[in-house]
Amino acid sequence: MVLLVLLMTGMLSAFAAEKQDSEASPETTEQVQINGVEDLDGKTIGVQLGTTGDTYASDYEGDDAGTKIERFNKGADAIQALKQGKIDCVIIDEQPAKSFVKNNPGLRILEEAFALEDYAICVAKGNDPLRNSLNAVLDELKEDGTLDSIISNYIGDNTGKNPYRSPEDVDHSQGKLIMATNVAFPPYEFYENGSATGIDVDLATAIADRMGMELEIQDVEFDSIITAVQSGKADMGIAGMTVTEDRLKNIDFTDSYTTSKQVIIVNSGETVQETGTTGKLTFKEKLYQNFVQDSRWKYLAKGLVNTLIITFFAALIGIFLGFLIGIVRVTHDKNGTLGFFNAICKIYLTVVRGTPMMVQLLIIYYVIFASMNMNKVLVAIIAFGLNSGAYVAEVVRSGIMSIDNGQLEAGQSLGLSFGQTMTLVVLPQGFKNVLPALGNEFISLLKETSISGYIGLMDLTRGGDIIRSTTWEAFIPLVAVALIYLFLVMLLSAGVNRLERRLKRDER
Amino acid sequence: MKILEMNHIKKSFDGKEVLQDISFSIEEGEVVSIIGPSGSGKSTLLRCATFLEQMDDGTLAYCEEPVVTRDEETGKISYPPRKKMREVLMDFGLVFQNFNLFPHYSVIKNVVDAPLCIQKRNREEVFKEARELLAKVGLADKENAYPCELSGGQQQRVAIARALAMKPKMLYFDEPTSALDPEITAGILKIMKQLAQEHMTMAIVTHEIDFARAVSDRVIFMDGGKIVEEGKPEDVIDHPQNERTQAFLKKLSY
Repeated sequence: MVLLVLLMTGMLSAFAAEKQDSEASPETTEQVQINGVEDLDGKTIGVQLGTTGDTYASDYEGDDAGTKIERFNKGADAIQALKQGKIDCVIIDEQPAKSFVKNNPGLRILEEAFALEDYAICVAKGNDPLRNSLNAVLDELKEDGTLDSIISNYIGDNTGKNPYRSPEDVDHSQGKLIMATNVAFPPYEFYENGSATGIDVDLATAIADRMGMELEIQDVEFDSIITAVQSGKADMGIAGMTVTEDRLKNIDFTDSYTTSKQVIIVNSGETVQETGTTGKLTFKEKLYQNFVQDSRWKYLAKGLVNTLIITFFAALIGIFLGFLIGIVRVTHDKNGTLGFFNAICKIYLTVVRGTPMMVQLLIIYYVIFASMNMNKVLVAIIAFGLNSGAYVAEVVRSGIMSIDNGQLEAGQSLGLSFGQTMTLVVLPQGFKNVLPALGNEFISLLKETSISGYIGLMDLTRGGDIIRSTTWEAFIPLVAVALIYLFLVMLLSAGVNRLERRLKRDER
Repeated sequence: MKILEMNHIKKSFDGKEVLQDISFSIEEGEVVSIIGPSGSGKSTLLRCATFLEQMDDGTLAYCEEPVVTRDEETGKISYPPRKKMREVLMDFGLVFQNFNLFPHYSVIKNVVDAPLCIQKRNREEVFKEARELLAKVGLADKENAYPCELSGGQQQRVAIARALAMKPKMLYFDEPTSALDPEITAGILKIMKQLAQEHMTMAIVTHEIDFARAVSDRVIFMDGGKIVEEGKPEDVIDHPQNERTQAFLKKLSY
C-alpha cells in the first residue's frame, strides 16, 4: 500500500515534469529576444536575492513598462526558472553565469554586460583590526601571485591545474577564523565531493594560513551573510560580494580582491536541438547523477540525521514545556493559585503562537544567541522545542479540561492531593484523549524543521537543495526529499495509532 | 459523640442564597436522610460538609474538633491548611450520583488506590480487605474488570467499596440511585441498609422516600435553602406538620 502510493506520486510528477519540459521551450522561442540592456523593459527578470544584480535590477521594478523582478534564494533556482520559461532572463555575476551556461547548453550570456563591480571581503562595522589585517594579507597574496594562481585554477584555460595547498609547516594556533558564505555560486563557492570549494574558499584558506588561524566555513543563505557577520556569528563574509553603498551602511569592506561583471543570461532559443545532441539523460542516468555520483546521497543522509535529531529533541523539550505550562494553566483555572506563573505562561503562548516559526528561528539564532558560538543543531532544537511547547501546552490543557470534574472530586474525596489527582487520575485519561492531537503536533514539527536551512544548517531539505544546486536538476532531489518526509510522517502516524489502540483497552 | 456538627451555614451562588443559616449535626452510628424538592439545597449542604464547595459563613467540626472556624469580630471564616484538610477528608467517604470511578483503573485498583497511595497501608492487607469488600457488595468475580464493562449498578457498588476501603468514620451518599434503573436501585439500597445495620454513620441525600423511612433514624426535609422539618421518619414522612412537607410528599404519591 505504502509502496503503491510512493510509486504513483513518483510517476505522476515525472509525467508532469516531462510535460513541462516539452511545453516550456516553444513558449520561450516565441518571445521577443533580449539582446541587450535596453530590451529589459517590460520583461520578467530573475535575480539572486540580496546580490548586486538584485540591487541594480530593482531600479527597473515598477517602471511604466511593467518590468517584474523575481528574487530567488539561489542563482541555480533562477536558472531553473529561466529554463522552464517562467522568467525572461537572469542577471547574475559573470563567473557563475559562465558555469551555469556551460552546464545548460540551451542558455547563453549576452555580450553586453549589465554592470561592472568589485568583489571584497566584508567584516563587521567598526572591526578595523580585522579589516586591517585582512587588507595586509590580501596585499601579500596579490604581490606574491597566490591570488592570481587561485583565480586561474577556476577561471580561464588552466582550470584545475594549480589548486591552492596550505604550506606544510602551517600553524593554526591563533584560533578560529569563521567565514560566512553561500555555497551555491560557482566558481567562487560550490560543493565538490561533499565539501565546499572555489575561489573564495581557497582565498579564505590562504588568508587563514597566513594569519595562523583555522578556517571554519558557515554555509548560510546569501541574504543572511551580512547578518551573520554583523551579529558576530562569523568573522568575515566572502561570497563574491560586491561593495555597494547600501551594504556599506551596515558593514565594512576590505580592498577588492577581484573584479567581475553582472551579465544577462537568456534562453538561446535552440534548447531542444542542443540538449538533444548533447544527449538528454535518461531517468536512470539522472538518478545516478543525483544520488550516486560524487556520493551525493550523503547530503540527504546527513540532512536526514540532522532533521531526526532536531525533531526528536525538540519534541522532548516540547512535551516537557507543554505539560508544565498546561498544568500551570489548569491549576490556575481550577484552584486560582499560581497567578504569577500563569501570567508568564500566557505571555509565552501569545508570543510563540502569534509569530511565524521562521522568524522565531532567525531571532533565536541571530539575536538571542548572537554572541555565542553555539552548535546550530542545538540552536534549532531550542527554537523548535520552544515553539512546539506552546502548541503542546494548549493540547495538554484541552486534554485536562476534557476530563469530567467528578473525577477531580472523587480524587479529592478519597484524600488525594490536587497533584496526586492530576498525576494519577486526570493526566492518564487526558493523555489518551489528546493523543491524536499530539501526534498531529509532532508531524507538523517534523515538517517545520525544513526551514532549518535558513540558519545554514544542513537538514534534509537543505541536503536536497545542495544536490539541486550542483546537478541543475529540480525534479529528482525535490521528490526524493518529499518522499522521505512522507515516509517519516507515515511511520510517525502508524506509531501514534498503535499507541492509541493500546490505550483504548479500557474503553468500550 | 457528634461525628459532624455544622452551625449557621450560609452559601450563595451568584447572589442566590442556596443555604440560609443551616445548622445540622449527626451522632455516631446515626443514619440521617435528607429529602426535599430539586434546588432545595440538600446537595449543596452535603458538598459543603465534604469540602467540595466552600461555604460563605458558618462553622464546622468533625468528631468534635473544629475544622472551619469563625472569627466572631470580623465575621470571617477560615479553613485549615491543606495538610490538616486532607486528614479530615480521610475521615469520611463519599458516594456520588454518577459513581465517578476511575475509568483507566481496574475494579480492584479503584478500591486499593487510595489506601495504598495515601494511607500507605500494608499492600497485602489492603488487597485482602478490598477483596472482602468486593465480595460484600457482590462483585467478587469482577475485580479485574474495567468500569466500562460494568452496569451502572455494579459501578455504584464498586464506588461504595472504594469509599469503605478508606475505613471512614462516616459515609455520605449524594443521590446514589438517581442515575440507576429502578430494578437495580434495590440492590444498592440493600447494601446501604446492611451498612445501617452495622451502625455505619451515614448522611443520605435521596428521593427514595420508602427507603428513607426504612433505614433512617432521622429525616430532614429541606426547602428553599432551609431545614423546614426534621424528626423521626414516621413523624416527618407519615405525619408531616409543615404544609410544604405535606405538599412535597403529596406530589410523590400518586
